[in-house]
Amino acid sequence: MSSNSLTLAPAPPSEAAEQVRLEVRQFLAEELAAGTFSTHVDTWLSGVDPEFSRKLGARGWLGMTWPRQYGGHERTAMERYAVTEELLAAGAPVAAHWIADRQSGPNLLRYGTEEQRKDILPRIAAGECYFVIGMSEPDSGSDLASIRTRATRDGDGDFVVNGAKVWTSNAHHSHYGIVLVRTGPPGEGPRGKHQGLTQLLVDLSLPGITINPIRILDGGHHFNEVVFDDVVVPAGMLLGTEGAGWHQVTAELAFERSGPERFLSTWPLLAEFGRRAAATGDPAQLATLGRLSARALALRQLSLRIAAALDRGELPDIPAALVKDVGTTFEQDVVDEVRRVVDVVPSLDSPDPLGRALAEAQLHAPGYTLRGGTNEILRGIVARGLGLR
Amino acid sequence: MSDQDLVVETVRDVLAGHEPLLLSAERPWDEGLWTALAEAGLTGVGLPEEAGGSGGELADAVAVVRTLAAGAGAVPVAEQLLVAAPALLAADLDLPAPEEPLTIAVDGAVTAEPSDDGDGPGRFTLTGTAVDVPWAGVARHVAVLATPPAGIEGAVLAVVDTAGLDASRAVNLAGEPRGSLVLDGVGVPGALLGPAQAGMVRARYALARAVQISAALEQVLAWTVQYAGERVQFGRPLGKFQAIQMELAQMAGEVTSTAALVDAAVQALDRGEDTVVLAAAAAKVRAGAAVEVVAKLAHQVHGAIGFTQEYRLHHLTRRCWSWRDEGGTELAWSRTLGAGLVAAGGDDLWPALTRVV
Ligand SMILES: Cc1cc2nc3c(=O)[nH]c(=O)nc-3n(C[C@H](O)[C@H](O)[C@H](O)COP(=O)(O)OP(=O)(O)OC[C@H]3O[C@@H](n4cnc5c(N)ncnc54)[C@H](O)[C@@H]3O)c2cc1C
Repeated sequence: MSSNSLTLAPAPPSEAAEQVRLEVRQFLAEELAAGTFSTHVDTWLSGVDPEFSRKLGARGWLGMTWPRQYGGHERTAMERYAVTEELLAAGAPVAAHWIADRQSGPNLLRYGTEEQRKDILPRIAAGECYFVIGMSEPDSGSDLASIRTRATRDGDGDFVVNGAKVWTSNAHHSHYGIVLVRTGPPGEGPRGKHQGLTQLLVDLSLPGITINPIRILDGGHHFNEVVFDDVVVPAGMLLGTEGAGWHQVTAELAFERSGPERFLSTWPLLAEFGRRAAATGDPAQLATLGRLSARALALRQLSLRIAAALDRGELPDIPAALVKDVGTTFEQDVVDEVRRVVDVVPSLDSPDPLGRALAEAQLHAPGYTLRGGTNEILRGIVARGLGLR
Repeated sequence: MSDQDLVVETVRDVLAGHEPLLLSAERPWDEGLWTALAEAGLTGVGLPEEAGGSGGELADAVAVVRTLAAGAGAVPVAEQLLVAAPALLAADLDLPAPEEPLTIAVDGAVTAEPSDDGDGPGRFTLTGTAVDVPWAGVARHVAVLATPPAGIEGAVLAVVDTAGLDASRAVNLAGEPRGSLVLDGVGVPGALLGPAQAGMVRARYALARAVQISAALEQVLAWTVQYAGERVQFGRPLGKFQAIQMELAQMAGEVTSTAALVDAAVQALDRGEDTVVLAAAAAKVRAGAAVEVVAKLAHQVHGAIGFTQEYRLHHLTRRCWSWRDEGGTELAWSRTLGAGLVAAGGDDLWPALTRVV
């Protein structure tokens, strides 16, 4: 297989990463002891806590890889990887800043104007400025290029936006969205609809924007519908190049798909199960723990390799798709495998922390293999890496 | 070209003249392949020259084993290079000549008593039956892990010359010999191993099988992708159908995950880390899980052609089905891993996991 684009070079161990890992672990232990947060499943969707985000910013754990001039810390992707892993494993409340730190910031670094970067990046790195992904629409999911939200230029050259985005995670807590809009007609041919798309940096407090909550299965409000009614977005808020939106979005998705959040969403459940298996010493539980841990270990190796590739300046989009497919399948399997070997009824009100974690993980489970691109779409990308398309 | 590429190239050259064999009672191994490998010095790769080996690193030995596994070479090279010979070296025991096949026996009921048969210290008398011995009846020497005398912890590792010994014939799903060896008070050289050293021998065996599985599954994926590109149905190659693309992508996910973890475990072994047993356990378990998916889908994509003995696919899938439970079953290694990760307490799972590899 060495000849195909799925293989990545091994990640050399990084002492700096192990150092920062221990610092984060220490910090989290103190915060947990002080009761500033409690562990939950899937907290990079549901754990919104601006105060906590600011604390991370103050410690230099946001915008870690960005240049200092934009508030970053010029650390390696491997160090950032260690920080994100520790936060996710502890089920810490990281949802407020997650999208901004993971993908909107890097997107601004690549495509933003100097003014946009100077204005926004330091605030993201401080844990004070949050973003939403404005891609999906009611009729455009996997077929993202079919979006209908439009922007036309007015007499001043500003963009007037009309349409609706949906599933936008945490729009009700966020300051900006990077919104994909149609600014020009599609071209000819099967890939023609990739033309005429543009990314806009939209201040979510602008007049004409309505944010309507959509509740997910556990009753939580994380999703939204965001409606744009003649919203005037200043010309200076164009992100990158007009008409190059498809290319920009594809690059953004490589960041979106490559991190440890793609296999650690249900880690807090596995951690709780680990406590149970250790307490009971039950051979079936220990075997299940071992099987799941072996999968997690393999995913870590892959994800670390991607971080190392990012440090080398590569954009490993195909391996990232593979990891997200394997990783999110694992996240769901954790729920199934654990419930097979424990005598616990899942309930959000369970007095047993394992029952509560099972309930949270189960009710969030359908989302893992959808968000950021469905596993079917990701497998199509992997198939391309295998030379089949 | 790196040293490793050179080693791989040489093994491939040797393999080129040896189609995978259908093993039978008359042909329990590929003796011709062994002879060719031995003549090229490839049965001593990774073993120090002072001990009679060909020199080189662990990574070179792994490269030899991988290439042979992918080629379904019916020879005890994995047992010799990755398990038995390193175990003997670590125990300061003399290595049999690498040109003579050496295997490992870790299971069964064999007891070792110190013997004073006049040949000096470091000699033991072995009694009992070693079971599930890979290449029993084929290998000239067996490194036997035996139960030590009462009151002593750990194990005795002893080298048995099989000339004149009876081996019962049993085979795994691919027809590879996995017989028993009856040891009726034979006096042999040996050494006492502590529990940790004995555990290392078993871990090496498990890791060797994981290395073989990983290489074989990569080859199975490559064959299946190739086949899907050639076989035409409904006027299109199979690989153009989305359903088939999904299956191949899933296979790739399993193969890539396994390779990454097996690599990491081999590196942990090379660095001599104390987490090697857990790393090997994880690699073995992950590889076994990959076999479930990859072998099943490979046969599905190949259709009935892959269900026949004429076609090459089974040489690898049958081996993988067996290898995942050899050197300790998948269940046993899953438990070892699970228990090991929470050995310091249930709260320690995550920190323990980040230490394994
Ligand atoms: C928790 C969560 C958070 C999200 N956050 C955001 C966000 O912040 N911003 C945002 O823009 N979006 C967000 N999304 C939306 C997400 O990106 C979409 O759900 C995703 O792109 C899939 O689109 P869809 O749900 O419309 O499904 P559809 O595209 O309608 O697909 C339905 C099913 O059909 C399959 N399918 C579709 N097309 C094909 C094809 N060509 N071949 C094979 N199978 C196909 C899919 O794989 C899926 O199984 C979020 C989703 C979730 C679950």
